[in-house]
Amino acid sequence: MTSLDPRVIRLPEIGEFGKIEPKAALDQFGTFEVFVQPAEGKSFQHEGIVHASNLELAFVLAKETFTRRFTCFSLCVVDTREVFASPFTEGNQNAYDLIPEIFGQDGPKVNYEIYHLLKRGKQHIHAGSIQATSPEEAMSIAKSQLNKGKVIFNIWAIRSSGIRFTSVEENDLWFTLPEKKFRDAAEYKGGDKLKVFLENQRNST
Amino acid sequence: MMRDLALKELLYKMADDQLVLGHRNSEWTGLGPLLEEDIAFSSMAQDKLGHSLALYTILHQLGEPEPDKVAFTRNNNQFHNCILTELPNAEYDFSLIRHFLFDTAEALRFELLKNSSFEPLAQVARKVRGELRYHTLHANTWIKQLGVATQESISRLQRSLDFTIPYALGIFEESPNEPDLIQSGIFAGEQELKSQWQMKVELIISQTNLHLPDWKLQAPIMGGRSGKHSEHLQPLLDEMSEVLKIDPTAEW
Repeated sequence: MTSLDPRVIRLPEIGEFGKIEPKAALDQFGTFEVFVQPAEGKSFQHEGIVHASNLELAFVLAKETFTRRFTCFSLCVVDTREVFASPFTEGNQNAYDLIPEIFGQDGPKVNYEIYHLLKRGKQHIHAGSIQATSPEEAMSIAKSQLNKGKVIFNIWAIRSSGIRFTSVEENDLWFTLPEKKFRDAAEYKGGDKLKVFLENQRNST
Repeated sequence: MMRDLALKELLYKMADDQLVLGHRNSEWTGLGPLLEEDIAFSSMAQDKLGHSLALYTILHQLGEPEPDKVAFTRNNNQFHNCILTELPNAEYDFSLIRHFLFDTAEALRFELLKNSSFEPLAQVARKVRGELRYHTLHANTWIKQLGVATQESISRLQRSLDFTIPYALGIFEESPNEPDLIQSGIFAGEQELKSQWQMKVELIISQTNLHLPDWKLQAPIMGGRSGKHSEHLQPLLDEMSEVLKIDPTAEW
């Protein structure tokens, strides 16, 4: 190893004459879906994604990316590739209408978390857990068990064992100093101060 | 009276550590290795400023000047932070190692202070426990992952660890009136903290391909607690107090 500087060791290799090829894909971390439980007993809801090299780091980065300004009860993350999504619908069409019924699949049953999108453009919200042999079967079972009248525009099924939940001893992650006004841009009252400053300038000229 | 003096020594060194390291860590804002890490590291830097504010507020209640005055108008020889906290950021490997070594000590310090006989400090210690749990989770996760990842990550962390340990041992420099703190049940003392810290650091490092140097052969770099700092502190303070120096009446 001659250098440890990434600007040196990641320089491209010198190429050959006439070699033209597609540009390599970007070297970036994969994505992980982040879900937040706003209060004890409330449903988890989807908040967004983080990039990370693995599930554990995704949990660490998600905590500060999504819950630094407000407290919540708990947080969980899952690799985006674990999320199976139904077709989207709109208007009065329920996404469950597009889910075929599957009966008696072979194989061991595992737990799936089912999420519903109740308003387009909003977040997916946890609707319940289903034991099934596949995400397709999980949605098929959820169709009879969790489909309760409201129009659902999209359904997610996620294998529970792939999810990194907040452990019991980690629940105090959100016990923090309550006086955090310095984190809030509005608390600096920038607009008011600018108004006074401009007023003073106008009066002095 | 002796108790008050010892108490102020403790509060000043803790608050100054948090202010100076909070400022240093905030220098990564916008330059972090990936967006999410930039957010997390900056956010923890803000937590540190919040901790320093809470401690300066207690000092103010004990008769010291207002927090802003204490933070922005003292010279470097009036600061009691350990030299570790004022060192420039250099590369991210050093910042991560410093974050790991310092925050491990800070979390244990606040843990000891939860039962302090000085109730205002015990209250702060109980309130910040979530933040410190996060800071140590963040630090431990990175060290454990990069400490086994690639030849580059392991050798860079090892080099930073070897460089940083003597400075980290300077965290535990004792203050003149420390026996009063221990006797009055305010704080268990730097020696107790240091031995807990060594055990915790050993526990995390033993889960990686990194190696700790022999503690007995390490000469701690002291002086910070009594105001003898490196050449790096004054430029930091100058930058931090820039606005106030340009316009002492500025509201911001």
